[in-house]
Amino acid sequence: MLTKLKHLLLKIIDLTALGFLEPIVRLCYGEEPGTQVKKIGQFMMVPVLVFLLFIMVWSAFAPRHKTKSGEVPTPAVTFDSYRSIMTFHGREGDKERAYLATGDAREKWLAEAEARLEELKPLRAEAEAAVEEAEAAHQGALTATYDPALAEYNEARQAAMEESKQRIAKLKVRAEGIAADDSAAKGELLAVYRAHTAQTANAKSDYQKLKQQADAILKAKFPQLAAARARLTRIAEEEQYLKQLVKMLSGGNREARVADGQTKLDALRAQYAGAEGAALFPLAKSINSAESRLARTAESAYAKPWTLPMQIIRSVYCVFVGFFMGSVIAIPIGVLCGLSRTFMAAMTPFIALFKPVSPIVWLPIFLIVIGGFFPDPDKHWFFTTLWNAPLIGWLKINPAFLASAATVAMCSLWATMVNTALGVASVDKDHINVARVLRLGFWPRLFKIVLPSALPLVFAGLRISLGVGWMVLIAAELLASSEGLGKFVWDQFNNGASDSFAKMVVVVFVVGIIGLLLDRIMIVFQRAVSFEGSVATV
Amino acid sequence: MMFHRRPRFRIPHKLLTAALVGLVGATLGQDASAIGPENVPAIEGGETAPLDVEKSELKFGFIKLTDCAPIVIAKEKGFFDDEGLSVEVIAQPNWKTLLDNVISGELDGAHMLSGQPIAATIGFGTKAHIITAFTMDLNGNGITVSNAIWEKMQENDSELLSPQPKHPIPADALRPIVEDAIASGEKLQMGMVFPVSTHNYEIRYWLAASGIHPGMYTATDIGGRTDAQVELSVTPPPMMPATLEAGNIQGYCVGEPWNQQAVAKGIGVPVTTNYDIWKNNPEKVFGVTASWADENPQAMLAVTKALIKAGRWLDQTDEDGNLVNREEAARILSRPDYVGADYDVIKNSMTGYFYFQKTDKRSMPDFNVFYKYYCTYPWYSDGIWFLTQMRRWGQITEPKPAEWYHQTARKVYKPEIYLGAARMLVEEGFIKESEVPWDTDGYKPATSDFIDGKTYDGKTPLAYLAQFEIGNTE
Repeated sequence: MLTKLKHLLLKIIDLTALGFLEPIVRLCYGEEPGTQVKKIGQFMMVPVLVFLLFIMVWSAFAPRHKTKSGEVPTPAVTFDSYRSIMTFHGREGDKERAYLATGDAREKWLAEAEARLEELKPLRAEAEAAVEEAEAAHQGALTATYDPALAEYNEARQAAMEESKQRIAKLKVRAEGIAADDSAAKGELLAVYRAHTAQTANAKSDYQKLKQQADAILKAKFPQLAAARARLTRIAEEEQYLKQLVKMLSGGNREARVADGQTKLDALRAQYAGAEGAALFPLAKSINSAESRLARTAESAYAKPWTLPMQIIRSVYCVFVGFFMGSVIAIPIGVLCGLSRTFMAAMTPFIALFKPVSPIVWLPIFLIVIGGFFPDPDKHWFFTTLWNAPLIGWLKINPAFLASAATVAMCSLWATMVNTALGVASVDKDHINVARVLRLGFWPRLFKIVLPSALPLVFAGLRISLGVGWMVLIAAELLASSEGLGKFVWDQFNNGASDSFAKMVVVVFVVGIIGLLLDRIMIVFQRAVSFEGSVATV
Repeated sequence: MMFHRRPRFRIPHKLLTAALVGLVGATLGQDASAIGPENVPAIEGGETAPLDVEKSELKFGFIKLTDCAPIVIAKEKGFFDDEGLSVEVIAQPNWKTLLDNVISGELDGAHMLSGQPIAATIGFGTKAHIITAFTMDLNGNGITVSNAIWEKMQENDSELLSPQPKHPIPADALRPIVEDAIASGEKLQMGMVFPVSTHNYEIRYWLAASGIHPGMYTATDIGGRTDAQVELSVTPPPMMPATLEAGNIQGYCVGEPWNQQAVAKGIGVPVTTNYDIWKNNPEKVFGVTASWADENPQAMLAVTKALIKAGRWLDQTDEDGNLVNREEAARILSRPDYVGADYDVIKNSMTGYFYFQKTDKRSMPDFNVFYKYYCTYPWYSDGIWFLTQMRRWGQITEPKPAEWYHQTARKVYKPEIYLGAARMLVEEGFIKESEVPWDTDGYKPATSDFIDGKTYDGKTPLAYLAQFEIGNTE
């Protein structure tokens, strides 16, 4: 039984190419403990240690590179930014739930939010006082250091200018004394004048250094002030969020708005029942519009902004749509290329021509082409159907999404196509001969002989395609401003806030981890269709 | 022509008075830009009478600039909700994409440059009939030059060395730098945000007022660089500081917070704001396609109502005339899905201060005007000013008769919708009767609040054009 489990585990490990787990399983079964421990050290401890080393080096060196958008974020700052991204996500989720909350739950939540808001008031006053104090301290420090530095610079500049003026005056006097035929004196004058300009330039570079020093004082960070401001911002943001939440839980709540609309409608109906003659018509009109408004309110939703986790899901979905589109094109063409040398010859120019084209070029082209199919996307049946579909409705698939997916398809299909062609072309001659002996037709031969033996290479191609597609997608989203990871990075770059840099670094890890997972998934598929030892993969 | 179409609420004798007052004001050289209320006290709102909107889930686009505030505030303060609208507000990467998305129907409406609806309607760039019934704000832009250029300007004009130099700073000190650059075979490069943006016309106005030629647009040169002494190019607003830092441009004209960002990051020095170039100039509008407004007239009214309320909220003052809601607005705008810059950077200009250098903080209470001075009313004369600038710089290639200017402005600016929305708001008790110019003919009084002192009267666009030394004059 236990041996069976061991074999199963080892098989899973082999299938998923997670070879580093193998020694652990073997160690549990007491197989050559010494070797296993050594292997664990080699395949698990070394990578972990190196990664820790990387984190340490990162922490040590990041603050040393100062940019005008702030310092390079350290791991700790990056993690903080990750948390702030998730806080934003959590708060927007809360607002959405608050809008839809009903009954007792709503009352309870409202009371909680209001209590917390009360709690924040003194904290905010305190934080504001701290900021003021820090500002005063900063100002004091500046007056103590910056003002003298500036005065020194001004003095130096003044002195230099004065000297220069005097030199010029002397030169002028000297020039007056030179006769027309005194070429030696003329040459000397020119030399002196040149020396004067050099001197002026030197003096200038000297006093500009002083200016730079003064500017450096002004630019220097004042940690106390930054910390006080950050704290105030944290509190003010929470307050903002709570105020909004309170609104969503009280008057702005859907249930409350529906109830409100219902009351108004009831009043109108009562009025209608009591009215007669000419007064009926306007009332009928009001009732009708109140009814349709009520129906709309009852179905309304909170217009939630995109947050990183939502954007990640949309990106992953987009890459799979593009990957699927690419594969549907690439595999049949690849098969045909593998089967027929003539067809291959026909396709070669296209492959050679389009393969190296950058996604940056494809994207605007696809944006225009796809835009042509949907003159009014908001009303087009294709999109309205998708928006109302369960599960994927919230992704709001739009022309920009399709253009990004098409770009992914266009850039990623080549690896699949070429690998499929190669796989089909290199089917074992014996297998083909067997098919011939059995007099198999085209289709059975294709599905029973050719494709199964080509599958490992097809999947190897698909794996490369998905990797390429994921890389391409981020750039495509950035250009198309299609909601997703690419847009997130671009928005952060545009925001230029003090934590924007760190948020972009967060995305580096998010993209890396998702890319890794996608690759693993493809490895599992690839191994599942491979024959024992046929294709070596890592 | 002046009395082209009568809005619903006009009373003729009042019109005459208004015109007379305007005339007298102009001849006396009175501060003509300061029409309308200066203080906006709090008001006890009533109940919103809901409209039968044709479409209740809307998507509006914006560019990450503080003057997108009316849209953001209308959403965050629930003014859209009050009208029964559920609005998604989506950041756009640049003005071109924003306009394309509005035209394609991807967006229902957007925060637009004043020149965009006009240019689209007359077919400069993408052609589409875009209209506006709401001006979002006045002023709000600045011109920033790189540190190196600023140092050279200081060398040319030692007055600029003082920690708080005298304003307005004309481009005179820049001129020798431009000439030096040309002598050494180069041209200074400066950034603006869009060919028909206020910024393009402002930086051109500023340069030309000091005799620097910013280049002409021609039928074949759509980059606008013919005869240029300084070459202007398009960069999306949020990219400006990075582009300046990278050295691709030596200066730029852009909206907030991207001038304050340059000061905060120490990469450039704002030399002037558009308040000094033209006091209380119109800046952004809320634009939709004409077909959208035709299909959704009630929704259009509801949106305009919500935006007017948002503008009023932004400009609300206490008894001493201090803006009371701006800090909260700055907080909201600093959220990453809106403008996203640091609160401390956004706060400066939004609360009425502007840092010209780290040592030079000045009070500019009218840096952003969202409601007072009849700001939100869609003035024909504003549209005509943009048309005159398009003609001046050759974007309109042929001379046009004055009549054409008036008619084009009427195609784009829709005060009827604005007045309809304002009337409802007055009845609901959200705004005061005196805060809307009910009886105007759509033309602001003539003004000479320009950096070059020229007089602009929307009624005589050709006379205005004829005053310029640089650019087309007819």
